[in-house]
Amino acid sequence: MVIKQKYIGNLLTANSKKIFLAGSVLASFGILLVTVGGSWDITNHLLNKPETFFSPPHALMYSGVAVSLIGAVVSIIGYRKMKDAKFVFRLPLRLTFFGIFLLVGAGPFDFVWHSNFGLDGLLSPPHLTLISGMLFCSLGGMFGIVRFLKFNAPRKILNYLLVLGILPVWLAGSGIISSLSLPFSNTDYFEFNPDPSLAFVVATLAYPFLISLICITSAILSGFRPGMISIVGGLFLLIYGFTAIVPNFAMIESVEFYFMNFIPFAIADLIVSSKKTKFSLFVSGGILGSVFYMTYYPYVMYTYNEVLLGKLVSPSMIYHTYFELMLQVIQFTTIPSIIMGVFAVMISFRFSNAIKMEN
Amino acid sequence: MTVYVLPEKFLAKEQFTPSPFLEVEISNSEINLGESFRVGTVSENIGEYGDIHIVSVAFPSLSKIDDIVRIVSYDFSNSPIYIVVGDKIGANYSGGLESVIAEYPTIEAMNRPTHPGTKYVMDLQVTPKIPGPFVVYVKSIDIPHTSSQSHYPQEGKMDHQGEYVLAYTINVNP
Repeated sequence: MVIKQKYIGNLLTANSKKIFLAGSVLASFGILLVTVGGSWDITNHLLNKPETFFSPPHALMYSGVAVSLIGAVVSIIGYRKMKDAKFVFRLPLRLTFFGIFLLVGAGPFDFVWHSNFGLDGLLSPPHLTLISGMLFCSLGGMFGIVRFLKFNAPRKILNYLLVLGILPVWLAGSGIISSLSLPFSNTDYFEFNPDPSLAFVVATLAYPFLISLICITSAILSGFRPGMISIVGGLFLLIYGFTAIVPNFAMIESVEFYFMNFIPFAIADLIVSSKKTKFSLFVSGGILGSVFYMTYYPYVMYTYNEVLLGKLVSPSMIYHTYFELMLQVIQFTTIPSIIMGVFAVMISFRFSNAIKMEN
Repeated sequence: MTVYVLPEKFLAKEQFTPSPFLEVEISNSEINLGESFRVGTVSENIGEYGDIHIVSVAFPSLSKIDDIVRIVSYDFSNSPIYIVVGDKIGANYSGGLESVIAEYPTIEAMNRPTHPGTKYVMDLQVTPKIPGPFVVYVKSIDIPHTSSQSHYPQEGKMDHQGEYVLAYTINVNP
């Protein structure tokens, strides 16, 4: 019995970093489920106005929380068995646990909120807690994955785990920006809708910044591997397409339009992986930033409608209003969005260095 | 391509126009005080896909619904909304952009979304507490409200929201 325990202990110690990686992967995968469920939940609220806490999107979200919680526990098992390089994984572990603390707390908080105030909006204290938890936990997962890949020179195929690490960060970051810019937060009890003009500015600056930051960071972290931006961007479009467009019967035909957004991601990918210069990164960052209004179709329309049209838009009117606004939005946002895309490239270098512990 | 070609293609596409149809059955035209009558509604979207299908039954003879009106059958997707006197409510089919203050209570049934051909049922049992004429207004609206086709009836008496209703009067004998 003692020998068996010792054997297991040695095995855990020998594989501690792989165990930590498994924990990070689970944490990231869990957040991916939460974010997919979150996007689906927004659509569900818009189309069906569910009246109870117990809905399929909520089930997916809280399953994701459970997976992330398991990931956090696995991460700490790996971390405690590590003999060396503990400092490398300390920050990822802390980020994951802080995120999990917020996520787990957000569940009962959300339930109590629903019970007392009925249907809540997109931006509410429990939702903000949940989304912040998603962001911290996904950052922890991504840091863990990237640092394992950097310091353990694994098989090439494992490099694609980077996609799993970075995608939830993008989706969680999008969740925060959407909460602060979409007019979906007024309820019978509270008026949490952001000021329309402020929301306009937030969306115009933050969405392009985030798209460029995520895509360029993924390119840098992968060593400018061809296809990385296309995979990350393509998966993002796939997730948004299936959670925000496909469930809405009135928007099915616009799927064709939405998936054409893959083209700018592929172009940015081609430029970055073929040139690998700072200038090529800035060009790609500008391209990626400039397509934010298309990438965040359909709901970004609501933010701009508040200021530019002020129309009452029910779900089946979304795409008409979206395309009606398109040229006007592009006129107002093209220059700032390109600037934010380029600015994000500069931040991407620092961000990548921080993740990889390079100066 | 996505900016200049596709928007034209999508803007050229006609927007969906849902169109409600409503059948109302009042069980009695005359009752004695203490007795009940039923208001049966069967509604349907006979137009195109819509976001919301609403059936509204209002009681101009009442100031409060209390236990006078009871829902006995209901198959809409969302819970019924009880509008009380003094509530701020939408007007003139504006979807909330214009509003008025409710002058009498209403029960509003809602289904989201509404596919063509699906029928919705709401039956009410009404037990008036005072004798005299008891008035019931019934109407149906589909959202998006794109034209007069998106409400039923399309003419007749108007209610406190400036919207057309089917009006029924039941005599309650003392």
